[in-house]
Amino acid sequence: MTILLVFAYILLILIGAFLLYMAFKTDDRRYIYAAVAFYVIFPVIVTLKLPITTSPEVKQLYDAVEALPDSSTVMLTFDYYPSTLAETEPMSHAALHHLFRKDCKVITMTTIPLGGPSIAERVTRKLAEEYNKVYGIDFVNLGYKANYVAVLKGMGTSIETIYPTDNSGTRLSEIPMMENIENYSDIDFIFVVADNSIVDYWISIVNAQYNNPVGTGVTAVMAPRYFAYISSGQMTGMLGGMKGAAEYETLLNKPAAANMGMTSQSLVHLFIIFSVIAGNIIFLTSKKGRDGKRT
Amino acid sequence: MAFSTGSGRLPFIFLILIILIMPVLSFAQADSGDTANSYFRIERINALVAMILFSVVILIYTRWAKAGKDLFIRKINGLDEVEEAVGRATEMGKPVLFVPGLQEIDEIETIAGISILGRVARITARYETPLLVPVRYPMVLAAGQEVVQQAYIEEGKADSYNKDIVRYVAGEQFAFTATVNGFMMRERPATNIYMGAFFAESLLLAETGNAAGSIQIAGTAQPAQLPFFIAACDYTLMGEELYAASAYLSREPLLLGGLKGQDWMKVLIIILILLGIILVSAEVSDWYLSMFESV
Amino acid sequence: MKTTVPVIAAFLSGFVMLLAFFFNPETSFLGRLEPEVLSWVTIVGGFTLLLGVVSIIRVNYSSVKRKSSGWGYKLATLVSIFAMAIPAIFPVRWSSLFGTGTGSIYDWLFNYIDSPMMSTMFAMLAFYIASAAFRAFRARNAEATLLLITATLVMLWRVPMGEALLQGIHGNLPNLINTYIMNGANMAVQRGIIIGAALGAAAMSLRIMLGIERTYMGK
Repeated sequence: MTILLVFAYILLILIGAFLLYMAFKTDDRRYIYAAVAFYVIFPVIVTLKLPITTSPEVKQLYDAVEALPDSSTVMLTFDYYPSTLAETEPMSHAALHHLFRKDCKVITMTTIPLGGPSIAERVTRKLAEEYNKVYGIDFVNLGYKANYVAVLKGMGTSIETIYPTDNSGTRLSEIPMMENIENYSDIDFIFVVADNSIVDYWISIVNAQYNNPVGTGVTAVMAPRYFAYISSGQMTGMLGGMKGAAEYETLLNKPAAANMGMTSQSLVHLFIIFSVIAGNIIFLTSKKGRDGKRT
Repeated sequence: MAFSTGSGRLPFIFLILIILIMPVLSFAQADSGDTANSYFRIERINALVAMILFSVVILIYTRWAKAGKDLFIRKINGLDEVEEAVGRATEMGKPVLFVPGLQEIDEIETIAGISILGRVARITARYETPLLVPVRYPMVLAAGQEVVQQAYIEEGKADSYNKDIVRYVAGEQFAFTATVNGFMMRERPATNIYMGAFFAESLLLAETGNAAGSIQIAGTAQPAQLPFFIAACDYTLMGEELYAASAYLSREPLLLGGLKGQDWMKVLIIILILLGIILVSAEVSDWYLSMFESV
Repeated sequence: MKTTVPVIAAFLSGFVMLLAFFFNPETSFLGRLEPEVLSWVTIVGGFTLLLGVVSIIRVNYSSVKRKSSGWGYKLATLVSIFAMAIPAIFPVRWSSLFGTGTGSIYDWLFNYIDSPMMSTMFAMLAFYIASAAFRAFRARNAEATLLLITATLVMLWRVPMGEALLQGIHGNLPNLINTYIMNGANMAVQRGIIIGAALGAAAMSLRIMLGIERTYMGK
């Protein structure tokens, strides 16, 4: 099996090198696209489990949630569009595994009208079934309300004023779990999973004005921006992209979609690095490169 | 007239109102020691002081500019190239594509993009170059149409104006991107100008434009998207260069004065940061840090 | 009048919202004004949706009528608009297929056509970043070389295979990258850009409020 795996990966390198050679020769970027497609699909067929090490930001978030007393109330947001499901849904899954395992009461909501409520409903119900959680007692889905600034500010005064009913139309006063939850002061932690700048509003409105600890899961492109917030203590940990989700899954001992995606991501990254290095070698050894001219 | 830019009375009326109203009303409290019941949020006094200082600096420089003081502004390559880029499109008989970002009209980046659109529309009207402005939101459509129409009227080319120059294409991010990409591949615009707020679609737009052979000028204040524009576009305006574009292109003294005032505020922030570093290192910073506590 | 009224409206709107930030919403009318005005903005925005629908129908219908190049795609656009909008508008009590709830036509079209298409477009970024990196990452000068080396290190650091490679070079290299690149240089630059952009936005907002900047009105 190991020999086959080694052979498979040598073949991978040769195919990548060939496609790269054709890209240089014909100046057709579609060979690059073909290589990327191949490196994404191949690990789905020939799986390889990779060791995942944990970064300090993910550990910080995990420790913060782990330190919550069991049966704490946590708000989990589904602030992402369907386009980024591959990166963000594994974070939501992992977060729910962690929260349900600790018997936390979970309030889900979203500031994204396009698909947010149905994603929240689908993901939460699926995991609730696994942990035998009951809607209305262990978790509730508030759904979507327009005007996110007003929503975030309004929940600081009264959640029921902003969400008189949950996503399915049941009055909040009739939901047992929401009986003693009036506003942010009754919520112990806010776990924001987002693919847009709503994270800035959660920090500047909720963390800054109501002092709720906020942990986030964001796409890889957004992650570099939020290191400043972690450093200043405004954000309690962060999951950055699919790697962050994979690290969180590993800490929970529940490897899932994010772990599976790591092999594809690794191969594509290595291919891009290889192609950049090869391109630079050719550039530097060419006449234009030696003359220091722009290509 | 009080509200014209010429007299400048309005800015000072504004400052006087701020300086008088706030402290007066801060004394109108139910109980002078009970801040929870006060009308004025005394804990936000630091934000008020910063705002007043900022306004004063901007207004002083605006006054100086109006009085004829010569104000230096450094070269911004991307903006210098706009007219040449439109000229290129005219020579090739190809259209100019202008995308004012993917956010609503109430976002300051979109307003900056629409301001630049006005300038670009004047150039395209002058050279009779076809212009296309796809937008994502109806309010941006209304503002864009107004701005472009006004530009054509001012150039004496009212007959050349067509309402469909600015068109609503789709409300969803990737539907918008797919439509614009399709236009780029079919019409092969000679010049693409992206000015405003962009997100995940930035690279999709820029790479497609590159494949179509267009010269591309981009500007955004989204830090996460700057690397993609820098890699794929010929010129990129970063962060506040986008907001400075209107002043830079018009060279109006009042706008340039505002820009200088903003730069001096940055100098002040740098001094405050350096002072903070010294005080924190000397461990005598508690009083200093408490001044900047966010509320 | 055409210029003065919008400038006055911009000033008053901005000034009121500015005041509302400093007043307590629980004890003062001004403090409660902010969420109220934001709700008005949402309502006005809803009415302007009609503008967008009219624009898209006009542009596409004229192409279909003239049977210009690619008119089939324009027809598909028009059909898609009505196919999603009309069933969503009808009341749920007529049929469970109407409305936007689970099991409705709108929900089905969203989950099985719209959502996969959105994911596909986003996934195309992987291909585009590969071709952009291949084309743009050239060591033309010292700064470009530094960018290239940093990008390579961060790309390796972000994936398990790369991390293992880096640990093979030096056991602590991934942590050093996290500390000095991500939490060091990256964080400093991000803070600088955020502060600069925020100041620029504040200055522009002030100029718009005070009527100094009127280019967004076409003046």
